[in-house]
Amino acid sequence: MAELTEQRSLPQADVAAELPADGVATVPATRAVRVWQAVFVVVPLLFIALLALRLYQTNTSEQRAAGVAPDFTFTTFDGEMIALSELRGQGVVLNFWASWCDPCRDEAVLLEQTWQAEKEKGIVFLGLDYLDQEPQAKAYLDEYRVSYPNGPDLQSKAARDYGIKGVPETFFIDGEGKIAYMVIGPIMSPQQMEQGLSKIRP
Amino acid sequence: MIFNIGYLLLITALLLSIFGIVTGYLGGQRRNPRLIQSSYNGILAVAGLLILSAIILWYGLLTDKFQVVYIWNHSERSLPVGYKFAAIWGGQQGSLLFWCLVLSVYSVAAVLSIRSRHAAILPYAYATLHASSLFFLVLLVFAANPFRMVGFVPEDGQGLNPLLQNYWMVIHPVMLYFGYVGMAIPFSFAVGALISKQLDSSWVRTIRRWTLIPWMFLSAGIIMGSQWAYMELGWGGYWAWDPVENASFLPWLTATAFLHSVIIQEQRGILKVWNMILIWSTYFLVILGTFTTRSGVLESVHSFARSDVGPYFLGYLIIVVFGFLYLLYTRMPLLRGENQIDGVVSRESAFLANNWLFAGITFATLWGTFFPMFSEILTGDRISVAAPWFNKVVGPLFLALLLLMGVGPLLGWRFTSPEALRRQFTWPTLLALVAAAAMFFVTTNIYPIIGMAICLFVLITILQEYTRGILARRRHNNESIPVAMGQLIRRNGRRYGGYIVHLGIVLIGVAVLGNEFFQQTTNVTLAKGESVEIAGYSLVYTGLESEREGNHVRIGARMVVFDADTGRELSSVLPQRNIYDKNPDMPTSEVGIRMTPLEDVYVVINGWDNSGNSATFTIYINPLTVWMWVGGIVIVLGVLMAIWPNPSQRAAFNREASYVPVAAGD
Repeated sequence: MAELTEQRSLPQADVAAELPADGVATVPATRAVRVWQAVFVVVPLLFIALLALRLYQTNTSEQRAAGVAPDFTFTTFDGEMIALSELRGQGVVLNFWASWCDPCRDEAVLLEQTWQAEKEKGIVFLGLDYLDQEPQAKAYLDEYRVSYPNGPDLQSKAARDYGIKGVPETFFIDGEGKIAYMVIGPIMSPQQMEQGLSKIRP
Repeated sequence: MIFNIGYLLLITALLLSIFGIVTGYLGGQRRNPRLIQSSYNGILAVAGLLILSAIILWYGLLTDKFQVVYIWNHSERSLPVGYKFAAIWGGQQGSLLFWCLVLSVYSVAAVLSIRSRHAAILPYAYATLHASSLFFLVLLVFAANPFRMVGFVPEDGQGLNPLLQNYWMVIHPVMLYFGYVGMAIPFSFAVGALISKQLDSSWVRTIRRWTLIPWMFLSAGIIMGSQWAYMELGWGGYWAWDPVENASFLPWLTATAFLHSVIIQEQRGILKVWNMILIWSTYFLVILGTFTTRSGVLESVHSFARSDVGPYFLGYLIIVVFGFLYLLYTRMPLLRGENQIDGVVSRESAFLANNWLFAGITFATLWGTFFPMFSEILTGDRISVAAPWFNKVVGPLFLALLLLMGVGPLLGWRFTSPEALRRQFTWPTLLALVAAAAMFFVTTNIYPIIGMAICLFVLITILQEYTRGILARRRHNNESIPVAMGQLIRRNGRRYGGYIVHLGIVLIGVAVLGNEFFQQTTNVTLAKGESVEIAGYSLVYTGLESEREGNHVRIGARMVVFDADTGRELSSVLPQRNIYDKNPDMPTSEVGIRMTPLEDVYVVINGWDNSGNSATFTIYINPLTVWMWVGGIVIVLGVLMAIWPNPSQRAAFNREASYVPVAAGD
């Protein structure tokens, strides 16, 4: 390697290198350097913060995989705030739906009828509206004369926590907050509904 | 009982590494040789303890001790012995133990070989190595105990994930671990150099070998992973830009940049801050990669059993960021370049461009891997960034890098004269243009034309360098050609071995271009005896064959391959499905493949019915793909040539080393 310049400096003895003492004063970091320094601190920290957030989120989906119903709070179209955790001790039927979802219409009547029959017996029906708009949602609820609490799933947070793959999906949650039964697609018959209800009756 | 001892050994190792950090740091501060020696001994002791722990876990695996939860979850009685052994890295806790084991063995090897040099840096390097071990020991002791037991002895284990039961699974993770983990060594020395303020370039020269070794393993591991994907997963490709694939690729990128950039620091004393950032990024990306494959934050085909290790990793990442940047910023004045970059057409500026290109590719890969996750957190919408995006963004950058790989080594230091440019680049450029023109007959797509032309360009530069080197030796020493070549490699292993590594990269580039742009595929259902024609081949389905193995059933559909024009029988392929007894809903597949230097005939079986009267296949014709595996072997050979100890180099080293006063550390 003939063209290499000999730049090897012999290793110093144990004394640590001092700052250059050749008459050139230590130049304070230029503005550009300071910007880069800040970037290198801020960006990784932001990145790690987002990772932490994401880690926390995956814990909720782990919960669901373990059968625990992830907690959520939502505001109904009438302005009332409901939290799942407040309904401990009662059986909760949680239904994900949307006004643009045709199969949802197949179960809408059954859901409302069952609510009317069961509401004195410690069963609560909740409806979460997925990826929808308020006027259409309200029109849907009026059409089927739905009287149990319904509200928008803002930012689809509950949908993500429950890992739904589409609408409709219905979760039957028992008094201890565990998912006891689940139906993907519309509930087709009172017998199927009873299968879920029997597992969550208090 | 013995497994409780295993856990105790881990606790002891943890305590010893805390001790090692303290003695190393204090020994360096106070220049106390006994403290430093103690830290050094600690590295040996921790390695011993970890080896014993691993042996205990292996003992449990090989003798079916299912009361240990880890063994229960990842093994079974009828698992072949090789896979029982490999099961130590088949799951979360065992693989963390394996990580720690590999780290401790690497540390021992490194400190034994670097013992007599850089006395000021060593104590802090020891402390940092201990700190790396400490992190993983904390995980093992508090969050992921491989020796956890239940109160009874289960009848049989739950079996190893079927996807992991093949030859690749035994070798690919081991290579990757040796690659990943080894990066802790140069990192520890960088930290040591910063703490001790020994920031001249001699530590860089020493540590280059200890970066090349893990780099070699990491490259081999990545190629093997690709080979595994190609042979096992059966989608005709080898790289999906899957988050866990990217996790292994990211540190490879920064490590490659580091390997090249330190040459400049050695020769010209510049790019010192770049090099610190690069080695820090490599270690950060190693920890990040280990985190993402285990925590579940990203979905991927690699799925580990998740456990509570996530928060620990995040904490460690914060320490790595803050700690290193603090050291770097306070030592910035000492890292000022000793020279300037004198000209654009110089080796220094080529290497600087190299750094920027690698940084760009790293950033793009990071973005593509993590952007979907961030976007989902912030907006609630799940986006997916998949292979097409990566190929579009990263492809051109890699092409530029390939070109630089051919141009850079031929430029002069500080400045290249026009005569030198003419001398170096005439032949490669001419032949590349000829190749581009020839490619026009094959395709009108500009990408492969440019790509192949660049590959040929680099190939010619490498041949040119070897030819000139051999001719020069023959002129001076009258050696025969083989002897001349041997001497070239022996005396200039770094340079000529490096060229071989570049050759390997070119071969991989050629394979990528072939597979990416010239692949043909078809889906077909064939009845027994029926045939299908594709790309000049005729394939006939002849029937199902089934075999029983130890813990699974293998069902294959035989296809005979003929040359469509001449009717000559070329070979037969047997794509298969393996259905495992313990996991019947997770069948794995074997691809039926016929490899030639020109192209692969690649057949996947999708299904069959009526006990084999008809079967459905996907057939791929993959040009030039075999060169990827050849390229991998060539890269390993090149690295071996580059790191092979050289008598004259060793003499020079020892001359320098003798200037270190005897007092410290010996």
